[in-house]
Amino acid sequence: MRSRYSLTYLIGQSIKSLSRNSMMTLASVAVLLSCLLVMGTFSLLVLNIDHNLEKLGDMNQLVVFCDVDLTEREVKDVEKKIRAIDNVDGQSVKFVSKDDVLKEEKAKYKNNEKTLELFNDIERNKKNPYPDNFVITYKDASKVEDMEYEISKIEGVEKVNCRADLAESIENLKNGVVFIFIWFLAILFIVSVFVIINTIKLAVFSRRQEISIMRYVGATRWFITTPFIFEGVIIGLLSSLPAFGIQWYAYSTVVKIVAEDYTMLSFMSFDQVKIIMLIAFVGVGVITGIIGSVISLRKYLKA
Amino acid sequence: MIEFKNVSKKYSNGTLALDDVSLTINDGEFVFIVGESGAGKSTMLKTLFREEKISAGKLIVDGYDLTKTPNRKIPYYRRKLGIVFQDFRLFPNKTVFENVAFAMRAIGVPTKEINRRVPQILSIVNLQDKLKNFPRELSGGEQQRVALARALANNPSIIIADEPTGNIDPKLSLEIMNLLIKIHKIGKTVIVVTHEKNFVDYFKQRVITIKDGHVVDDKIGGMFDAQ
Repeated sequence: MRSRYSLTYLIGQSIKSLSRNSMMTLASVAVLLSCLLVMGTFSLLVLNIDHNLEKLGDMNQLVVFCDVDLTEREVKDVEKKIRAIDNVDGQSVKFVSKDDVLKEEKAKYKNNEKTLELFNDIERNKKNPYPDNFVITYKDASKVEDMEYEISKIEGVEKVNCRADLAESIENLKNGVVFIFIWFLAILFIVSVFVIINTIKLAVFSRRQEISIMRYVGATRWFITTPFIFEGVIIGLLSSLPAFGIQWYAYSTVVKIVAEDYTMLSFMSFDQVKIIMLIAFVGVGVITGIIGSVISLRKYLKA
Repeated sequence: MIEFKNVSKKYSNGTLALDDVSLTINDGEFVFIVGESGAGKSTMLKTLFREEKISAGKLIVDGYDLTKTPNRKIPYYRRKLGIVFQDFRLFPNKTVFENVAFAMRAIGVPTKEINRRVPQILSIVNLQDKLKNFPRELSGGEQQRVALARALANNPSIIIADEPTGNIDPKLSLEIMNLLIKIHKIGKTVIVVTHEKNFVDYFKQRVITIKDGHVVDDKIGGMFDAQ
């Protein structure tokens, strides 16, 4: 009989038992909470890498570096030939002179006096080592390799830099992160389950007389085991809800700081992932709690 | 009705605790089970609670064939039994009322019904005035009466008492035995495992004597010394 009364009674039993073994409860919550935070942090990291990779893909850009010693005329010739290529969006070809590059570099190191002095020196001696370059946007990404080859064959072109290189190295980085993440997480979850098993076992042990009497008077397995399963659920909730709050706060704070320093990176806002993150945290927390309880109760799940 | 048909129980360590036991206990009977320590009495009770499964034979209790009853139905079977232990097994932190109520709560009886029935049951064992007392405030005999009330809580058809007077002052033991007789008179089957020769001889009920896992004597109005 699963009357409403007995449900509140069972939940009451769970809460009593958790507070009776408060140290073990705290340990379980702490381990599971850390586990969820690591899971959340890695997920956000991977999501952000993906987000930036997508943006990179959207750029459809190549950078063509000319030979350093080309004359202005020769550079114009190179530009003409580039514009003539099918896959090049003629509107987009942007010329960046060697002087522009030097200016950009100077701006980047404006706080570093020694390097700045070096750049000034270069300027004075008119020995700018940077080549002129063109940033071009292509129309069809699938033909980018042919196009790259074609451009590299143009006389006066030193090198073609495709952003795909960058994308690939970021992709590799992402895969590395995912790999470490999965192993780390698996270990953490096993630890969490073990700590919860011990907590519930302790609870079962302290109530063994009660359990034996319940069995003698004909309590069903459901009645006997539910309080312990609820304990697992409560541990899951006590871990996942604060973990979610901490994750939210920490992510927003870190993004605020990092975004200021790395303006070229774009970050997802927590709002975009809030709901799914909450579901994942609570889901994983509660399921881990239940798994821990069920394992420690196997003996009592028989008659 | 309880029927042991050629029941044997062998433990995994090789001990043969019951060896080809056959006996029938009819509804409403009062039975003493006697025998030395290690004779097989406890195992017999354990097979009745289905705490242990029998190794061979057939055991049928109140229509349940315990060799075939699936685990999920065992709790419902156990509701037909009321069990009393030598060491009472009361909850020290629960009052008399709560101790009895616990048995009812465990099988999902609504609170209203619990509040109505617990005082009634406690009056059968003459403890209607001790509802709010804790076990530590009661004598051994009174504690065993609470245990009896708990065994009666779910209105079982069979009461099994394992050495019910073993932990009680001899002067108060008679009171417990009288209560068991009273419970028998309201129509319950009562099985009492005991070492108390005086009571067995005095009450002149059916006495089943067990020795080395066998039933060696089974007589109505039998005596303890039959073993």
